[in-house]
Amino acid sequence: MTRPANAIDMWRGFALVTIFINHVPGMVYARWTFSSYSIADSADLFVFLAGWSLRYVVGTDARRNPTRYVVMRLAARSFTIYVAQVFITALAIAMLAFAAIILDNPLLLEWHNAASVFFDPVPTHLGLVLITHQLGYFDILPLYVVLMLFAPLIAIIDRYTPWLLLPLSLTIYVLALTFQINPPTWPVEGAWFFNPLAWQFIFVLGFVIARKDGVIGEFLRRNISVLRIIGLVVIAVGLYFSLADKLPDPTTVPRPRLFFIADKTYITPIRLFQFLALVAVFSAVYRYIEPFVPRLVGFFALLGRNSLPVFCVGSLLALAGQIIRFVWQGYFSVDTIVVILGVAVMALTAWLNEWRDRAAQWKKRQQSPAG
Amino acid sequence: MEKETTKSRGLRRTVLTPAILAATAAIAVFASLACAPRAMAAAEEAQPPITPYTRECQTGDKEVQSTSPLPNVASALEAGKTLSILAIGSSPRPGRYGHGNYREEIEKILARAIKGLNVVIVNRGISGELAADAAMRIRTEVALNEPDLVLWQVGANDALAYLPVNEVVSTVVDTVRWLRQHKVDVILVGLQAVKRMQRNEHYIAVRDALRKVAQDENVIMIRRDDAMQMINKASTGGTDASNFPEEVERSQVNHACLAEYVARAITIGAFAKGLKVRARDGKNGGQEAVPPGASPGRDNQAPAKP
Repeated sequence: MTRPANAIDMWRGFALVTIFINHVPGMVYARWTFSSYSIADSADLFVFLAGWSLRYVVGTDARRNPTRYVVMRLAARSFTIYVAQVFITALAIAMLAFAAIILDNPLLLEWHNAASVFFDPVPTHLGLVLITHQLGYFDILPLYVVLMLFAPLIAIIDRYTPWLLLPLSLTIYVLALTFQINPPTWPVEGAWFFNPLAWQFIFVLGFVIARKDGVIGEFLRRNISVLRIIGLVVIAVGLYFSLADKLPDPTTVPRPRLFFIADKTYITPIRLFQFLALVAVFSAVYRYIEPFVPRLVGFFALLGRNSLPVFCVGSLLALAGQIIRFVWQGYFSVDTIVVILGVAVMALTAWLNEWRDRAAQWKKRQQSPAG
Repeated sequence: MEKETTKSRGLRRTVLTPAILAATAAIAVFASLACAPRAMAAAEEAQPPITPYTRECQTGDKEVQSTSPLPNVASALEAGKTLSILAIGSSPRPGRYGHGNYREEIEKILARAIKGLNVVIVNRGISGELAADAAMRIRTEVALNEPDLVLWQVGANDALAYLPVNEVVSTVVDTVRWLRQHKVDVILVGLQAVKRMQRNEHYIAVRDALRKVAQDENVIMIRRDDAMQMINKASTGGTDASNFPEEVERSQVNHACLAEYVARAITIGAFAKGLKVRARDGKNGGQEAVPPGASPGRDNQAPAKP
């Protein structure tokens, strides 16, 4: 039985569609996604909602799932995401190789950090398996793998010393920003695009805020009206700075500079505040739009309910979209076809995933003596 | 006794003075002849320490980079501080056959060319990144890493994504000027040449526009497509005919040669004006950066005039 549409699934589906569009560089529709008008973007929303969803698995004081169940389930989830990452990366490499051969164009072998896969395969294959080598636009899932790997620990701390979780997460975040600590990539030198030491904070924030009976969750819900007014002001200021290109010169801000500049890798405080303001304001939207556009809400919720397969297919479709744009020279009509087909295939993926579950349940009912 | 002494002194003066003068002149001539090679060497030392190419990276008599001064790199060398380089743009791959990498190769070549040089290269390349996104990140990374030089590999992703040429140009010009204002030198690394893209009008337009930017803004540009054509001609005997696997192989060579082209561009740009250099000891040869007015150093050689 699939769950009915809700705000979390809807926003997650919305994030998946915008991630797909933003992952086709140069696409004209990317100018109309909210990341063009905001410091934060869909990646922040995706990770925040991943933390929020973790709450459903872990439970609250009122509805506790057994610790062993929680730990095993989260470990299994982490492994599933890891397998998905390795699988879609392999497919992406094959797509680039195929396109390079068919189009007789070796330049495509160098797209998105793939050059070392083809030109220096021995260490790079190790890097792919260790997820220390990430293709461009295939770098969110490695973050998700790491976060889910530590999710059992987060769940245990939350269960036994809930007051410790957020300060601990904040401390790691502050240390990462202060000393610019970011895991290195290998074998191509560099650093993770989504620094897990910084991004864990927004994940934990989602997890903590999702708890209605927790101190923070309760406080935020009690004062949501005030927070929305503050949020509106923050969004307006962020919009002004984004559109007018008036962000402060990063070389003139005080040290440690990451605390005063907008940066995605470290999800710096400016970006984080703006995102939380968006959450405060847009958390009110669902109940107003749901009666008016139930089909659209249902569509996004369908995508959101099946986020992992949809994300994986969306990532591959985004790469296919880039190749198609390259072949057909990126006209507006090409962009339109890519978006329509892409979102349709993502929806088909979600529908098939749910159909498979429904079919399994139907078969189970048929086989059960009572049924 | 006194008379004799005076006489003998007069004799000595008469005989010895011309002898001493002659000897002095002879010594002076001999010394000047002996010192001629050193003076010639000193004149040579004033030349920039142009790093040699390996055989596979040879580009004949054609330089694949434009020349332009790198005043901030030169200042860093003069001050004897560690040269800090930020690499932005498409992420370079590891070194040939898993040995070393882009950063290590550049560091090695520069260290060989300039004695006593400490260089740190921070690689913040992100594959697939468009110029506009890289431009924003350059500002952040400059604030965080405070480099003397930015190596910016730019244009290929914008060309492949069919972004309007004027948008790319505007982004690059703004960023180059911002870097200049913040006393950071920049070397642009241009688009790579592959046979198929030679007929792609947009790709060529982006390439040419970026070359013009480099020229107008007086910044160094590594012309990878020129290098590629030289490598192609060398390996095909001038026919420039190639099939896919051969082109992939040469593309690999071009990648591996990038470190050599970059290192040469840095040395030429850094020594373009004002910086004194001197020959270094040792089997590898090379030259040493000497700040103006600095003492000759531990090998006690006089610094050459610029």
